[in-house]
Amino acid sequence: MAMATDNAFEVDFYSNSTTTSITDDSPACTWNHWGSPVVDWDSFSSDPDDFQDLIESMMDDGTGFELARVAHETSNSVSTDTMVVDEETNGDEDSKGLRLIHLLMAAAEALAGDNKSRELARVILVRLKELVSHNDGTNMERLAAYFTEALQGLLEGSGGGHGKHLITNGPHHHRDEHHHTDMLAAFQLLQDMSPYVKFGHFTANQAILEATTHDRRIHIVDYDAMEGIQWASLMQALVSRKDGPPAPHLRITALSRSGSGRRSIGTIQETGRRLVAFAASIGQPFSFHQCRLDSDETFRPSALKLVRGEALIINCMLHLPHFSYRAPDSVASFLSGAKTLNPRLVTLVEEEVGPIGDGGFVGRFMDSLHHYSAVYDSLEAGFPMQNRARALVERVFLGPRIAGSLARIYRTGGEEESCGWSKWLATMGFKPVNISFANHCQAKLLLGLFNDGYRVEELANNRLVLGWKSRRLLSASIWTSPHSDL
Amino acid sequence: MRVMGVKGLTLYHLKSHLQKFRLGKQPHKEFNDHSIKDDLQRTSASSSGMMARSMNEMQMEVQRRLHEQLEVCRELPHPNVQRHLQLRIEAQGKYMQSILERACQTLAGENMAAAGGAAGGYKGVGNQQGVLPHMDGAMKDNFGPTLNFPPFQDLNIYGGDQHLDIQHNVERSSPSLDGHFMSNKRHGPYGGGGGTGKSPLIWSDELRLQDLGMAPSCLGPQDDPFKTGVIQIGPPSIETSGIGKLESLSDIYDTKPGISNDGIDERKFELSPKPERPSPRRAPFQTERMNP
Repeated sequence: MAMATDNAFEVDFYSNSTTTSITDDSPACTWNHWGSPVVDWDSFSSDPDDFQDLIESMMDDGTGFELARVAHETSNSVSTDTMVVDEETNGDEDSKGLRLIHLLMAAAEALAGDNKSRELARVILVRLKELVSHNDGTNMERLAAYFTEALQGLLEGSGGGHGKHLITNGPHHHRDEHHHTDMLAAFQLLQDMSPYVKFGHFTANQAILEATTHDRRIHIVDYDAMEGIQWASLMQALVSRKDGPPAPHLRITALSRSGSGRRSIGTIQETGRRLVAFAASIGQPFSFHQCRLDSDETFRPSALKLVRGEALIINCMLHLPHFSYRAPDSVASFLSGAKTLNPRLVTLVEEEVGPIGDGGFVGRFMDSLHHYSAVYDSLEAGFPMQNRARALVERVFLGPRIAGSLARIYRTGGEEESCGWSKWLATMGFKPVNISFANHCQAKLLLGLFNDGYRVEELANNRLVLGWKSRRLLSASIWTSPHSDL
Repeated sequence: MRVMGVKGLTLYHLKSHLQKFRLGKQPHKEFNDHSIKDDLQRTSASSSGMMARSMNEMQMEVQRRLHEQLEVCRELPHPNVQRHLQLRIEAQGKYMQSILERACQTLAGENMAAAGGAAGGYKGVGNQQGVLPHMDGAMKDNFGPTLNFPPFQDLNIYGGDQHLDIQHNVERSSPSLDGHFMSNKRHGPYGGGGGTGKSPLIWSDELRLQDLGMAPSCLGPQDDPFKTGVIQIGPPSIETSGIGKLESLSDIYDTKPGISNDGIDERKFELSPKPERPSPRRAPFQTERMNP
């Protein structure tokens, strides 16, 4: 991808990068018209020493502040109606976006350093806060607002983005404080605006259907059932199944966690009731159970109630945009416990993260920035007129994820965030199960409903990855137990 | 192969068309940010109306795209994939609707409690069971089901065709998913719950559920799983004003007393009239499309 450059110090910094105009008509640039800078992300993941040069160059000659001042003036004239951008505004927004990225990167670098540079981080964050807003402006500006706030949280040691620090007109957004109806509305919007949730659910469900065509009883153990919507479409598919026994009995066991106080979109009991009612409404034989996790969210397979002759499916949805954080130990206990149960199928959906590399905190920070900028862009590309709706989704789901993720990266060096569970399953001896052609077709068709910018790759025989443009975002993989003859 | 090539070309043209469509020639041009901002300055209720229209737009947009894609892809190999996808998306939408409706009802219940001065927002609802049915008539006149999901009407989810008439008879052009989700007195940019009377709500599916023959019951305490009351489904009594904070989702679907968990499925199966299979008709997309 090309990088827009109109700043002298950028040329110094990325000496081997190409600088081409972004104002052509090729499809790769059309997304630029919505105010997102076209960024050469690879060039950002360079040696940490270079960041020090950047910071010094910013501080020494005052260029950084000058740019910030200019950016501030520019931002006042940037239209929030991002559809009506002409060439000049386009360039300004791109420049501002890149400046924000540089400032964020500098702040991250400063935070990763010693105490002296924490003061520098503080200064940079002050500057950033003047430039960004949670609700207004371009994608990059809003994204930068959340990242700025997350960094501020790290600086103050609260480690979770809890807001004692307001960014201009941005509101607090504790996850726990979110109005219940806000969460519902945001969840609905998320599903309408993006294919993330459906991609994960439908890919898993299609694999489940294919693996159970001749079964009379299906038992699915769901690691994180949330509101249960994944099973609505599975039930619909089961009742309209033409081959195999008519209307096989479906049993869902949802893992429940002892009261965290925060109930997101509802309790497990409510989910169960909804699923029961939905099943009844379409004539699907169904029963619902809970299985409690320990207080530390460890899964004990012995707590499950199993029935002889049922096809056991292990369903593990992770990292969907509206999901809560789940500790790796808990996930590991679930998947390793699952292995002892000899399941017919294991369906795993997880975030796809960039390579860890040696970038340390800053490298992971930039990767996270890249990740969420792709998510923001994908939402905007599909529904460019719906700024308020997107801002709600960002506030309710994405912002807290960013804060939590950065805090974990900061504390643990990013190992947690980059856990590739599909790799882990392979190591544990689970066998991959091919993604069928129909499943792949379904994914492509689904993405096509939303926007051409989404794409699906088959990274392995058993793994489909949903991406936005060149950024891979969500991975769905299918496995079976080591001893299965599936 | 040549036929496929021709169809592929059609798909490409369609996608280009869709892209142009998205790039600004949308029919809902009036719902741009300017009008959103203006409305925000007026009343908070209409900002939530704007949000609701925004959501509604998106739903319609998604449906429209789905329909168009399916029309084009009909001749492509694996046509079943398209049809199945449509049904599955609709099933998810239907389920989502049930979540949102229950949220509406809880809000309504809380408002009743607040209005009636009952103690404790949520639990008080149970005491006002008698009030709920009386509100039906009035509510029915003022509010209509406005969730504009043309395809869902085909699904006969809750059985019986008579429900389609209910949908057809109602005012459709008003926004759905209205301020009751957004009306948030305390925080959030979408304003408080000022009632202006132009906030219809979704409740069409309550009518369908009623036809299951269930008597309305009180909304029991939320943490009482699978134990209390009758299977409820009364129409919501919803006010536009004074929407309070939504504490939890009400549990509409309590089972009948005496049914154990494992027995739920069989009983529930019998209670509903035999549902018809969802029919993947395509014509309804066009005939029932709303005017924006």
